[in-house]
Amino acid sequence: MMLLTCPWCGPRNSTEFRFGGESHPRPRPDAATPEEWRDYLYFATNPRGWSRETWYHGSGCRRYFAIERHTETNEHRAIDERRAAEARR
Amino acid sequence: MTQEQIALAGTGAMRLGRQEGEVIDRRRTITFRWNGKQQLAHPGDTIASALAAAGERVFSRSFKYHRPRGILTADHLDPGCQLQVGDEPNVRAAHRLVEADMDVRSQNTWPSLRFDVKAANGLVGRFLSAGFYYKTFIKPERLWPVYEKVLRQFVHAGSISPDTAHDYYDKRYAHPDVLVAGGGPAGMSAALAAARAGATVLLVDEQGALGGRLRWGGPAELHELHRLTAEIAAEPGIEVLTDSVVGGRFDDNWVAVVQRNLPNVVERLVKVRAKSFVVAPGLIERPYVFEGNDLPGVMLSTAARRLINLYAVKPGERAVVLTANPEGDGAVADLQRAGVDVAAVVDARHGTTVTRARGRSGVQSVELSDGRRIDADLLVTAVGWTAPTSLLNMSGDKPVYDPRSARFRPDPARLPDTVLATGRIVGDGSFSEIAAHGAAIGREAARRAAGIRARWQTQVPTRTPGEPVAEVPAKPVEIPDLTPAAHPELFRGHTHGFVDFSEDVSSKDLFTAVAEGYDSVELVKRYTTVTMGPGQGKLETVNAVAVVAEATGRTIAETGTTTWRPMYAPVTLGALAGRIFEPVRHSPMQAWHERQGAVPLVAGQWIRPEHYGDPAAEVRTVRNAVGIIDVTPIGKLDLRGPDVPELLNLLYVNKWNNLGVGRVRYGVMCAEDGVVLDDGVTGRLGEQHYLMSTTSSGAGTVWEWVENWLQTEHPDWQVHVTPVTTAYASINVAGPRSRELVGRLAEGVDLSPEAFGYMNVRTGTVAGVPDCVLWRIGFTGELSYEIHVPAAFGLHVWEALMSAGADLGVAPFGIEAQRILRLEKGHFIVGQDTDGLTQAYTAGLGSLVKLDKQDFIGKPELTWQAERGGYPLLVGLQPIDGRIVPAEASQIIAGGRIVGRITSSRMSPTLGRSICLGQVEAGLAKPGAVVTVRLIDGRNIPAAVTPQLAHVDPEGERQRV
Amino acid sequence: MHPTNGRVNGHHRRNGTPRYSAWSLVQHGLTGAEWSRAWRAHPMRKSYDVVIVGGGVHGLATAYYLATNHGIRNIAVLEKGYIGGGGSGRNTAILRSNYLTPEGVRFYDRSIKLYERLAADLNFNVMFSQRGHLTLAHNDASLRTMHWRAEVNKLQNVDSEVIGPDKIKELVPYLDTSTTTRYPILGALYHPPGGIIRHDAVVWGYARTADANGVHIHQKTEVTGIDVEGGRVTGVQTDQGRIATPVVVNCTAGWATLISDMAGVRMPVQTFPLQAAVTEPVKPFLDTVVVSGTLHVYVSQTDRGELVFGASVDPFASYSMRGSLEFTEGVAGHVLELMPAVSKMRLLRQWAGLCDMTPDYSPIMGPTEVEGFYVDVGWGTYGFKAGPVSGEAMADCIANQRPPEIISAFGIDRFLQGRLVGEKGAAAVGH
Repeated sequence: MMLLTCPWCGPRNSTEFRFGGESHPRPRPDAATPEEWRDYLYFATNPRGWSRETWYHGSGCRRYFAIERHTETNEHRAIDERRAAEARR
Repeated sequence: MTQEQIALAGTGAMRLGRQEGEVIDRRRTITFRWNGKQQLAHPGDTIASALAAAGERVFSRSFKYHRPRGILTADHLDPGCQLQVGDEPNVRAAHRLVEADMDVRSQNTWPSLRFDVKAANGLVGRFLSAGFYYKTFIKPERLWPVYEKVLRQFVHAGSISPDTAHDYYDKRYAHPDVLVAGGGPAGMSAALAAARAGATVLLVDEQGALGGRLRWGGPAELHELHRLTAEIAAEPGIEVLTDSVVGGRFDDNWVAVVQRNLPNVVERLVKVRAKSFVVAPGLIERPYVFEGNDLPGVMLSTAARRLINLYAVKPGERAVVLTANPEGDGAVADLQRAGVDVAAVVDARHGTTVTRARGRSGVQSVELSDGRRIDADLLVTAVGWTAPTSLLNMSGDKPVYDPRSARFRPDPARLPDTVLATGRIVGDGSFSEIAAHGAAIGREAARRAAGIRARWQTQVPTRTPGEPVAEVPAKPVEIPDLTPAAHPELFRGHTHGFVDFSEDVSSKDLFTAVAEGYDSVELVKRYTTVTMGPGQGKLETVNAVAVVAEATGRTIAETGTTTWRPMYAPVTLGALAGRIFEPVRHSPMQAWHERQGAVPLVAGQWIRPEHYGDPAAEVRTVRNAVGIIDVTPIGKLDLRGPDVPELLNLLYVNKWNNLGVGRVRYGVMCAEDGVVLDDGVTGRLGEQHYLMSTTSSGAGTVWEWVENWLQTEHPDWQVHVTPVTTAYASINVAGPRSRELVGRLAEGVDLSPEAFGYMNVRTGTVAGVPDCVLWRIGFTGELSYEIHVPAAFGLHVWEALMSAGADLGVAPFGIEAQRILRLEKGHFIVGQDTDGLTQAYTAGLGSLVKLDKQDFIGKPELTWQAERGGYPLLVGLQPIDGRIVPAEASQIIAGGRIVGRITSSRMSPTLGRSICLGQVEAGLAKPGAVVTVRLIDGRNIPAAVTPQLAHVDPEGERQRV
Repeated sequence: MHPTNGRVNGHHRRNGTPRYSAWSLVQHGLTGAEWSRAWRAHPMRKSYDVVIVGGGVHGLATAYYLATNHGIRNIAVLEKGYIGGGGSGRNTAILRSNYLTPEGVRFYDRSIKLYERLAADLNFNVMFSQRGHLTLAHNDASLRTMHWRAEVNKLQNVDSEVIGPDKIKELVPYLDTSTTTRYPILGALYHPPGGIIRHDAVVWGYARTADANGVHIHQKTEVTGIDVEGGRVTGVQTDQGRIATPVVVNCTAGWATLISDMAGVRMPVQTFPLQAAVTEPVKPFLDTVVVSGTLHVYVSQTDRGELVFGASVDPFASYSMRGSLEFTEGVAGHVLELMPAVSKMRLLRQWAGLCDMTPDYSPIMGPTEVEGFYVDVGWGTYGFKAGPVSGEAMADCIANQRPPEIISAFGIDRFLQGRLVGEKGAAAVGH
């Protein structure tokens, strides 16, 4: 079982957490086109590699947090905004 | 027989005199049954060793050809030694210790082990080639079930009994710094070194005692064994689990250990989170492929040595030994010491080999490649080793074939830092070289474990201040080299023989499969089922790969190997399941309900009263007098803070800005796709204090949902959420006389309609219990009060209501009556009248949805749903014939097409006719429209769409009084 | 719909290989002659009319029906490992058609019908064992869903009905149908045509007959890129070289997103591992397939006597196929709640496959915005059941350049248009 590092509680068994899926920014509901909104609802990057995702520490501190996890090895790391920006470029 | 007679008779003709390392207790003798016949054994004997001591050679019949099979490996892997013990199938008889009065039977034989009818299959073997079943029984198709029934008779296994109970199994967690899999010389040395470096160690070995191959060695080995065991026993940092097996290694060193032969526990699963994991399983001896290699009397050198040295059993009378390594040479010495006539030692290192073994129910003669033919009843082979890399593969390793040592080797470079290997799986050497390697690995494992401990500590920002962080020696331990000894590549001799004994797959079958195009090792495996039996390839894989390589003309390295998957050794379902632990939730009033004979209803985690005998009478009580229902499972969230109205505006489709203190409002939540998620009421108890209710099944989901929106989208909002579902016991008092009843118990609350109107909330004292919350709402459609009582006083208030209302005719009602009441009133239930695609407008919530709000969850989709129109709609329906109640889920059809369905239906005690809710296509959702309902029995009946959802009191006059 | 039969009559098949039969088995047994290859290795051509990515049941069936129903034979099936090594060889081989939506029922019913005659069509015994399929209901909500499915099924002439505990006990004597269990069995959806099949045999049967019809199967050939020029497909890059082609079909499971990404087509898919496990064999005692949605478990007994278990997909998205201990602990616990008497059976092996989950639990089939790039993906946990009908429909779609009616609900455009299929409805009300 993967150990997931909660930013508040440290490394804990993954069964204490609930997976929240890829982190997507929510489009502005009053401005989004149907395509933009449904892209947000249904589409996913689904990378085989590092993925930015949300987890919920339901059996612990009950905090939601974002993290980067490698979807093949399950390694994970705190989000480094500079690295993320570089990856986007 | 008396104990004396037994002692005189001994435990069998093949039992040897005392051996130095023997594990049997000769002072005691026990009896057990073997195929109904009484047998003797000493404590410490395995089932197989006891039978072998008695001269038994045939233990089972093989899968396809029903050939006789005996001892091959004399350990857990022995394919021919799977027996039925009582109601336990497939017991590893060469591993399981004999117990007094065991009922041991051979499996898969009929009518008896000696004379087996299906052995005739052997004669037609030439037609039962690889994959024969794919090539026949094709036509006619309708006969396949008949063929299949016959094939199923050939299942090669023991049987289970319907009377077997799920015995006591428990589980345990362990958190050692270092877990060592394998208690041979390397594993023991690693454990000692790690413990001496300050680590806590868990040392696991599959055999009944530590020592590995030292246990069946000579005096020098036994001396080392005793020294190491004594040192381990004296080391407080080491916990030893014997007769236990590491079944699998999962992410981040989460390791499954199965502990067997515990007192009063069938098997125990130990879940280990190891900081470092040392894999030291040793080597598995590999059988040799040649004609007759499965005859009883053909066995591995390690098997012969185990039989002699551990169990004092003479493996045969006259032996041929095929040896290619020092261990085989050692077996020759053991055999001679045990009085076996060693007729020939065939040294494969010099090119001679065994061509075939001949015999009927056991070896009678052995033919050699130099043309000699030697009479013998025992053929011992020592042709090489398989590295059981399974646990390393599960850790990321991909084994690489090394032709020089004729075995696959782990590739440590692919392992994570937390997994290390030592012992013969890495390489060969003298005892001291192996021990030195093990000790170095143990020290390094301890060092890495300390590093992980320190990292984990510092990764907890909330740890105790000032807690000392573990110190980590900076310098890695130098690991001495351990290289595998050179070994001739010996897999198949000059003839075809069995590669997989459990599956009856021969090297000929593998050649056939390759010729047919199944030419990769994975395809061969699936086509022939080679390596798919109980041993999962531990004996068979390398030979199978070698034969496929031979058949394809590729090298073994090019051919590669199959993937080893968990479990390393089979584990009972009971141990995996442990004690079944499925908690249920009860309200504080449950004992009362049970005393009143309430029929229980399983609703998710909750057990609730479905009814108390007559739901229709319960309905009438509510409509005519007053009833009380236990609604404790309703989800309840306490919300506090200045931004609660903002939050409610986001969560619900309707508006919440102007909810005054003391008011309650109904709300519906949708998901971002506009699909109805949950509903309930929220009341404002104070200036910044609200209580939200959710559906019972949605309580947990909604709580997480609320937290999600607060934490991720609106962390700036000041709202504190506390789930209080079980902090309160909840009682709904419903019926025209509910005001009178509640009035008798409430203090400090003015219940008059003017002071406490419909959709209001008050706090006060009920039956002497302060801090109760009273909601005037009405799921039943009657005047009603929902009272939330601090949970500890729930039963008190419930009983007070019952006694105070006796003269009013108060009675409890259950979920079934509530369902009828709400259906009469036309209230929908999320998840029953709505489904995974039901958007708010379809649920008839058009007037509730406020699209002019700036934002709420699901707004865009609902905006588009409203614009699009033409959506299906939830409607009230009444069958024209009011005596017929269409079952829920009955389909509504038009012209053979499904145009809707009944989502709820009941006979209404109030109206004396059947009533329904249903979803229908837009065109049919018009009051008075008549639709066709297809009943479950196939009849079609007409039903009319009602003007509104409510069947009873559509104006809502009864609840507003 | 096309009447389908890949049948080639006579004792020899199209490429001259002998037919399989009891008689040919005896002949080979007597003469010791070798069987000819079930499929051959061909040198890769520079171009193909159609390139199918993924050598599982979907890809091979698509190739087979393209060749036999539409006469398109210049086809390459590219498989990065060995045929049937993905989802086709990792599923629990359960077949059924008792779905919830009319679209789903009709589609899977066609699949069952094709499966029923597949052995004869392919001249390969795929061992389809229609031993019946039971979906247990442990609470009134799931019982209602079972009724819903039964009613939709009956209207599509699919044999399906809700039965009570007594009949359930008769079908599966080992089930604990007492009322005192934590999850009492209130009823079940009984689906007699459902059952199990030898999944590898389906793959091999399709491969063998596709090969006989001229299809090239390239194993150990990994697609590394898809060439798109001016909005249309022009070729495929592989680790064995480039292939020119106007048509590429994505028939992968687990890699649906990665292959579609190569063509620049975004997917509403998240990939989750689905685990399964098998026990040691025991003598036959379980005739039907037993499923419990509430307990998240399904179990059947193979002709070899093993119990095969499955559960729901893993709790988080991943491309890992390592498997977990939580899965086996959970599945064992749940099986023992249903059948306490199997507690002494031993779990032999566990494995995982990858499932491409879509938002509505229905597949994505048909053309995409890139001309010539077709998808047959997003199968979630249902892919194997749909193998034949998917192959048939995708072949039709490619040959006639428009999706046939039977898959018209499954186009990728439904997500942007908000027209989801309601198969998830069963899941949403299943708790």
